[in-house]
Amino acid sequence: MWRRTGLDRSNILFVALVVVSLVLMTMDLRASGEGLAGTLRDGTQSVFTPVQKAVSFVTRPVVGFFEGMSDLVGLRGENQALRLQVAQLEQELARTESLQRQVEELEAILAIEPPEEYDTVVARVLATGVSDFDALRLIDKGRRHGITVDMPVIDEGGLVGRVVAVGETWARIRLITDRSMRVAVRVDRTGETGVLIGRGGGLLALEMLNTETALVEGDLLVTADGRFPAGIPVARVAEAAEAEVGFSLRTTATPVAELTRVDYVKVLVFTSDEVGSADPEEEGLPTGTGTTISP
Amino acid sequence: MAVALALLGVALQTTLFVRFRPFDASPALALLVVLALSRHLGRMESLLVGFGTGLLLDLLSETALGLWALVATAVAFTTVRLRHRFEDDVTLLVPGVFLISFAALALYGLLGTIFGEQTLADAQVVRKMLLPAVYNTVLAVLVLPAVTKLVGERVRSPGGWGES
Repeated sequence: MWRRTGLDRSNILFVALVVVSLVLMTMDLRASGEGLAGTLRDGTQSVFTPVQKAVSFVTRPVVGFFEGMSDLVGLRGENQALRLQVAQLEQELARTESLQRQVEELEAILAIEPPEEYDTVVARVLATGVSDFDALRLIDKGRRHGITVDMPVIDEGGLVGRVVAVGETWARIRLITDRSMRVAVRVDRTGETGVLIGRGGGLLALEMLNTETALVEGDLLVTADGRFPAGIPVARVAEAAEAEVGFSLRTTATPVAELTRVDYVKVLVFTSDEVGSADPEEEGLPTGTGTTISP
Repeated sequence: MAVALALLGVALQTTLFVRFRPFDASPALALLVVLALSRHLGRMESLLVGFGTGLLLDLLSETALGLWALVATAVAFTTVRLRHRFEDDVTLLVPGVFLISFAALALYGLLGTIFGEQTLADAQVVRKMLLPAVYNTVLAVLVLPAVTKLVGERVRSPGGWGES
């Protein structure tokens, strides 16, 4: 099958390129993605972002057409379900408005300051990672718009991820499904805490220690992590589970954010300094850029 | 032209599949373009274009610098070695694209794990290798003729194809 060519120049070049690649990998690993490699990454992304914006602008209608075609099948059923949901939400809204008025009156009486609202930056997702192994997204807003590394990113469902690198007009987000992501969460129903761990895509792994309470399917998990504002919905328990021997509990959870088709996101202008740091993420992430967060 | 096509491959790879991701997967389009170019360029050119494309992928991601460069160089090298077979028997092209794409992603997974990326620990590792390889095979019907038309067929020289 292989044609005999002897030790020609292309073989020598191939070996040389393999060696160069291995040396680059080793050096990058030793530098933990910082230094020259980080600068090169930031520079390349800054140069390539306009290209990605242009290609995205041109291809968006074509992609929209194919997306529309694939969505058409489930659209009718979804429409009916949404109408029903709107009616229910309208009823709930009326009740919530009444409760909101009561809360404001009580806050005024007790002189309690209402919870802080965070500024947000709305951004469009420009690009995905270079392969399905990268749980990354590139957005069209950056340092110029007030975004810095480590800021949480949400969509209408809940937590999407956090900013790991930022340029003047772009920022790179690491999704919560990334294998290196760890997010401390609280079970909304019971108040117990645990850690959500990314598995590369799909479901997240949930680990809870020192717990005696069982989890039921659909339990909402919200942030309880110093790096994010408390109470942001992150995931729902996918499989009911009970504590095993040693009071540890392991199960899976489905992200509430629409991670597979995320188009627009909001970056919360929030830094962990505001509430103190409690980072459950593992030390020494394998790689990263010069501006990548170090836990 | 080859460099422009490689850049376009990377740009399309990263922007085209933001929302349209059948079965939550996307093709490895950049690798497919490297494969398509390596069918026509000289051996040295193919390897350099492969390495350059891979390096660009590395610089646009958070993976260890050189990881994609090695994988894309291997794709170019394998294609250069097998292109006579593809030319002799066109029916080999379809399984060839599938196998080269799959093997490239498997190599990425293996090297990524060795270099601390935990790639093989990914819960969907097989799916992430298999589906892009399938999509590449489907897209090859469009990409390979387009690249052939743009880059042009090289004349088979006595010492090998398009050797520069």
